[in-house]
Amino acid sequence: MELFLMSLTTGIMVGGIYALVALGWVLIYKCSGVLNLAMGELTIIGAYVSYTFHSIGVPFVPAVLLTLMVGIVLGILTERIFLDKLIGEPILAVIMVTVGLSFFLKGLVGYLWGSDTRVFDPPVFDIKPISVGFLQISPVYLWSFILSIVLLIVFVCFFKYTRWGLSMQATADDETAALSLGVSARFVYAAAWAIAFMSAGVGGALLGNINGINVSVGYLGLLVLPAVVLGGLNSVPGAIVGGILIGLLQNFSGTYLDQYFPGGVKEIVPFAFMAVFLLFKPYGLWGWERIERV
Amino acid sequence: MSSVWLPCGDYHQNYAEDQGWWQSRFIKGKMLLLLLVVFVGIPVFGGEYGMSVGTMIGYTAMGALGVQLLIGYSGLLTLGHAAFIAVGAYTSTMLILQFPWPQFLLDLGLAYPVSLIVAGIVAGLWSVLFGLPSVKVKGFYLILTTMAAQFITVDFILTQYISQIGGRGQAFSLPPGTIKIGPWVVDDELSVYILMAVLLTLMVIVLANLLRSKPGRAWVAIRDNDIAAEALGINIVWYKLLSFFVAGFMAGIAGAFWVCNTAALSPEHFQWFLSLWLVGVILIGGVGSIQGAIFGSIFMVLVMELLQMAAIPLAAYFPKILVDFAYIKDMAFGLAICAFLIYEPNGLAYRWWQAKNYFNLWPFSY
Repeated sequence: MELFLMSLTTGIMVGGIYALVALGWVLIYKCSGVLNLAMGELTIIGAYVSYTFHSIGVPFVPAVLLTLMVGIVLGILTERIFLDKLIGEPILAVIMVTVGLSFFLKGLVGYLWGSDTRVFDPPVFDIKPISVGFLQISPVYLWSFILSIVLLIVFVCFFKYTRWGLSMQATADDETAALSLGVSARFVYAAAWAIAFMSAGVGGALLGNINGINVSVGYLGLLVLPAVVLGGLNSVPGAIVGGILIGLLQNFSGTYLDQYFPGGVKEIVPFAFMAVFLLFKPYGLWGWERIERV
Repeated sequence: MSSVWLPCGDYHQNYAEDQGWWQSRFIKGKMLLLLLVVFVGIPVFGGEYGMSVGTMIGYTAMGALGVQLLIGYSGLLTLGHAAFIAVGAYTSTMLILQFPWPQFLLDLGLAYPVSLIVAGIVAGLWSVLFGLPSVKVKGFYLILTTMAAQFITVDFILTQYISQIGGRGQAFSLPPGTIKIGPWVVDDELSVYILMAVLLTLMVIVLANLLRSKPGRAWVAIRDNDIAAEALGINIVWYKLLSFFVAGFMAGIAGAFWVCNTAALSPEHFQWFLSLWLVGVILIGGVGSIQGAIFGSIFMVLVMELLQMAAIPLAAYFPKILVDFAYIKDMAFGLAICAFLIYEPNGLAYRWWQAKNYFNLWPFSY
């Protein structure tokens, strides 16, 4: 029972970080229809940039804020250089550009920061776990969970109440109609990429605090794909629920399945689950179903 | 095939003529010359280095042909082809190492050819297993299921279980002289190169023939509009799975061939990188043409070799280059994909076609 509750809380907490990164992914998809396979690399970049700021002596919170700034710049640059020219191209072309982008960014990160694992020094969060009853939660997880919930609320409000959020929704719904109403689609796409870089940046900074930063953080970034498929590709709440469910799934399989299938079952289960899930509910929990005609 | 240039006033009168391979004596001569270059020219004049580059190109092309079939002809996006190559490689190695071969088969040197074919079949079936979701989903979702194939197969089953067989830990190695076809031992650059050339030629012929017969037409119809294809009476489930089987079979053969090139096998050779690399190759070469897969392989392998060559003299000035060569390679590959997709979405095959047309009409362009 204790084990169960432990896995449950850890799952929810880790899931919070996945949810955060998944949110960025869904935003890009919602606004511009780009299926982004470079999310893992965006996460690594966020991790390394915040690490760099932190290592030159900036405290963690301003470092994350600076990471957000860098994220905005990088997001707009990426959109302008690579994706702007691909609006309206076939889906494979756009996906493969993001794959090319992910190679480029991975190479760039490797070139700039090397392949050693970097650890935040001094550690940002207390290593000593907080005890709630008999549960032990380490502060990193708790903070990231809180942060992702806060950001979720911010994003939902942003979409519902601000001018930019509304124009993004309009573009997602019907690009031509939005253009005719005076919404600048290019601005919306740039904003979507900036937001994606920002949320990946925060996610990366938090993930980097858990196990240190190396290329495998990018693998964790790939886990957003099962999360968004589970939630539905164009649903913001779906991304959150999907992320948390994937976190739970990972931790429960790590706890209970590892004895039957030793070795990284934890890393594989989300993808296996996703493959099976797609057979039954290809549009996820809250995705839009598309009816196809000839 | 059908884009062959004909003099004004000459028309194809039936499908067989339109799809014929040897439409003119010039084409026949050109193809024979190509075969001559591949089988005689490169081994004689290329030397060890030329042959090793050729082998690399051939291996890439073998994998890329399968990806081309899936993406370019059937419209089934895949990002997990390395998994099927790995299945082929491991099947063949495990058969050679672990299977109790009857002595007469070993004496006749049939162990490797048999394992080659079994590897193809196993990889094909494995690919069909992960192709099953294609019945219900397509596009991006299919990318996800094939990605799942990659991670489940290579990172989990092969790394955690298969690699542990026999207590060797990570890598398997084949004792020298195990790989032989009849009396012919495949152990040096020349024999590996020739085996590659033979396999690649066979694959191209088989694929080209499939594509101009019923399955090929069905695949193209499914790619262009699967609902319309179904309305035309094409069994799309069967043809989609057939496409996965053929692509997996080719991947299996490629994997089994890779074993004889390296004589050692580890899951590191079949990471997700390879899957993405193969898709990149066909994008650069041109989606939807067999030549595209070959051109893409030649281009990418040569560019990487040139980068490597350039890195050595440059290292005198920037010592970091050699250490971080893998990263530079990644960056170059990523940029190449992006640049081709943005500026030349039709790939190298299209340029080739343009050049051919230009010279067909030369010197009078009208």
